[in-house]
Amino acid sequence: MTNAVHALPDNSRRQFLKATTFGVAGAALGVRPGVAAPKTMSIMHENSFIKTYDEYFQKTLIPAYEQLTGVKIKYELVSVGGLQTRVTTVAETGSGPDMTLNFFNWPFLYEEKYVDVGDVAEEVGKKSGGWHDAAKEAVIVNGKWKAIPFGNVGQLMNWRTDWFKEAGYDKFPDTWDELLEAGIKLNAKGHPFGFELGHGFGDNHGWLYPLLWSYGGREVEPDGKTVVIDSAETARAVDFARTFFQKTMLEDVLGWTDPNNNKAYLSGQISCTNNAESILWAAKRDFPEIAKATDQSLNPKGPGGQRFHILAPWSHSIFSHTPDQQAAKDFLRWLMEPAQVGGWYASADSYYAPFLHAFDDAPLWHVEPRNIPYRESLATSHLPGWPAPISRASSESVAKYVVVDMFAKACAGKSTKEVIADANTQLKQIYRPA
Amino acid sequence: MSAHSEPIALPATRRRLLPALREWTEREEVFSLLMILPPMAFLIALVGYPFVYGIWLSLENRPVAQPGTFIGLGNFITDFHDPTFWQVVQNTFVYTGVATVLKMVGGLGLALVMNQAFRMKNLVRAVLLLPFIVPTVLSTIAWMWILDPSFSVINWLLVHGGIADRGPSWLGNGSWAMFSLIVVNTWRGLPFYAITLLAGLQTIPLELYEAATIDGAGALDRFRYVTLPLLKPVVFIVTMFSLIFTFSDFQLVYVLTRGGPANATHLFATYAFDIAMSGGQFGLGASVALAMLPPLALLIIALALYLRKA
Repeated sequence: MTNAVHALPDNSRRQFLKATTFGVAGAALGVRPGVAAPKTMSIMHENSFIKTYDEYFQKTLIPAYEQLTGVKIKYELVSVGGLQTRVTTVAETGSGPDMTLNFFNWPFLYEEKYVDVGDVAEEVGKKSGGWHDAAKEAVIVNGKWKAIPFGNVGQLMNWRTDWFKEAGYDKFPDTWDELLEAGIKLNAKGHPFGFELGHGFGDNHGWLYPLLWSYGGREVEPDGKTVVIDSAETARAVDFARTFFQKTMLEDVLGWTDPNNNKAYLSGQISCTNNAESILWAAKRDFPEIAKATDQSLNPKGPGGQRFHILAPWSHSIFSHTPDQQAAKDFLRWLMEPAQVGGWYASADSYYAPFLHAFDDAPLWHVEPRNIPYRESLATSHLPGWPAPISRASSESVAKYVVVDMFAKACAGKSTKEVIADANTQLKQIYRPA
Repeated sequence: MSAHSEPIALPATRRRLLPALREWTEREEVFSLLMILPPMAFLIALVGYPFVYGIWLSLENRPVAQPGTFIGLGNFITDFHDPTFWQVVQNTFVYTGVATVLKMVGGLGLALVMNQAFRMKNLVRAVLLLPFIVPTVLSTIAWMWILDPSFSVINWLLVHGGIADRGPSWLGNGSWAMFSLIVVNTWRGLPFYAITLLAGLQTIPLELYEAATIDGAGALDRFRYVTLPLLKPVVFIVTMFSLIFTFSDFQLVYVLTRGGPANATHLFATYAFDIAMSGGQFGLGASVALAMLPPLALLIIALALYLRKA
């Protein structure tokens, strides 16, 4: 077990220490113990891939907050993949839990039903060394903080060091072209690559948007109106993807959804993929031999020397129907104090890369040094639709898999011209003037 | 009126009213109306209202969690210019058409076999219903493993049986993915056809077969001139139901491919869900969902007309 709290030997001493820490932190914070706060409040979360993460909230944070303020927090867990439907229902009906976890661009989607939490965010940022820029990209909507950023579930290159070594590579290739070269050699040795090209939620976006960006291709200009997908840069990225697919991968990847690359990697069928830290995490638990021969690296650079990553941010918002918004803000302020949020982050190693600079060199990064690239990737991470600000149009583009399918169709055999023309038609429809 | 007469007058009125009410409710048209009211209210609340609301949504630019603005047919015009929408139309027709025919032929075959006398007939009939009873999401997860790119049991058999170097990419290749979905849908829907047709078969009087045999009809002739004509109404009804279910299928696609690869298996329902839920565009999503109504209605009307003529 990796977090400091769990490493402590004496149970009662541990609880005493925790209570004291939280008490002091709470007092310093100015949490209003017993000031007409509601008796219970609820926050929705999706079941975490990492069990200790949910447990830390339930067994450590909830009792600590109750002890401090008398307010009991209900942690409502939704099964994986079901949170957005639930948030939609709550936002539409204006009833249900007080707070929720957000993924991706949800602070934008549900903006009108979320409370402005700028005061809390600024305060938390000031106390913990400031926010990473990437965090702001995901939660500031029309100048207002619609959520408190939490962490990023980065998507990086996961690769087999032993097989790469056999093919003559001691370190991960620095550019897409070099990666293609390595892939050809590894495929010849029976170790193909496996990058998702199907309709999953994350592992497809995780490499296809960064690939497009690093080749200089963009969906739309920063004005959020002018569609510029039909460019020589996009064409080069598409041509590269086709070759990359044909020469290094199996046809199966076109139909993959998010669990497939994990399974293929952990069963030793592929030598490289793009994924979150979950592969290494699961390998350490179930396949120690594979874990030993696994490393994680930043996405390769494009021809212009730039590399990019997808931003997959987690954040917390307060619904506007919440009767006591101040009490919810107090809770989030308390939650994001280093003592609390630090323990929560650490319960999952660095799976949720903290958006607060105070944690840039926190012990959680040293538990597994192979995770450090996830921290470094934050500076070059963006949401789909970048460089335009998040908008309804960018959500629609993601929901329609415009970019993913542009690449997938090319890999399945359609011409570059044709797939770009399709994407261009779709994007012009999507980014139509209101 | 005296004070004494009042207590007598009231029961008298009641005595007159109660039988009148009873008589009124026992009139056939009133009684049927009363009986039909609760299900009607239920249908209006749970089917009618969402349906009308769906139509209203499709005419609005209605982002999630925001008030909508009326845009008339704007969403349908957007769909009309969306290449993926047309692919979805094509996919849905191929999926529904092929799966329905397969289910009809397979179901009829199964029903004919089940109609014979053999040992453990009842057990076999019960087992036959399994695919229909098991929740779709669960059985589809089993199929996910059967068709899994890395661990497909079919491919394992193909490779280890020396038939292929490596099996087809069941869900990775657009055509194979559609084929796989049709197979799974057929597997799931077959029992519905088989059991309904079996019930139809059992209503055909044996005397007709005996008479046909005496007239010199062979097995094929008996099927063609006795079984098929008498089974026709049941076949049409069951086909109508099947068309509706298959046309609006969601779970199977959502679990197996989520519409991929490259939209090769997106159907109306899955595409509408993605746009409305992930994309937060309720209006546009509703318009995609509603677009399946006219072709579906036409199919049903055509079938109903044919049935009436027959």
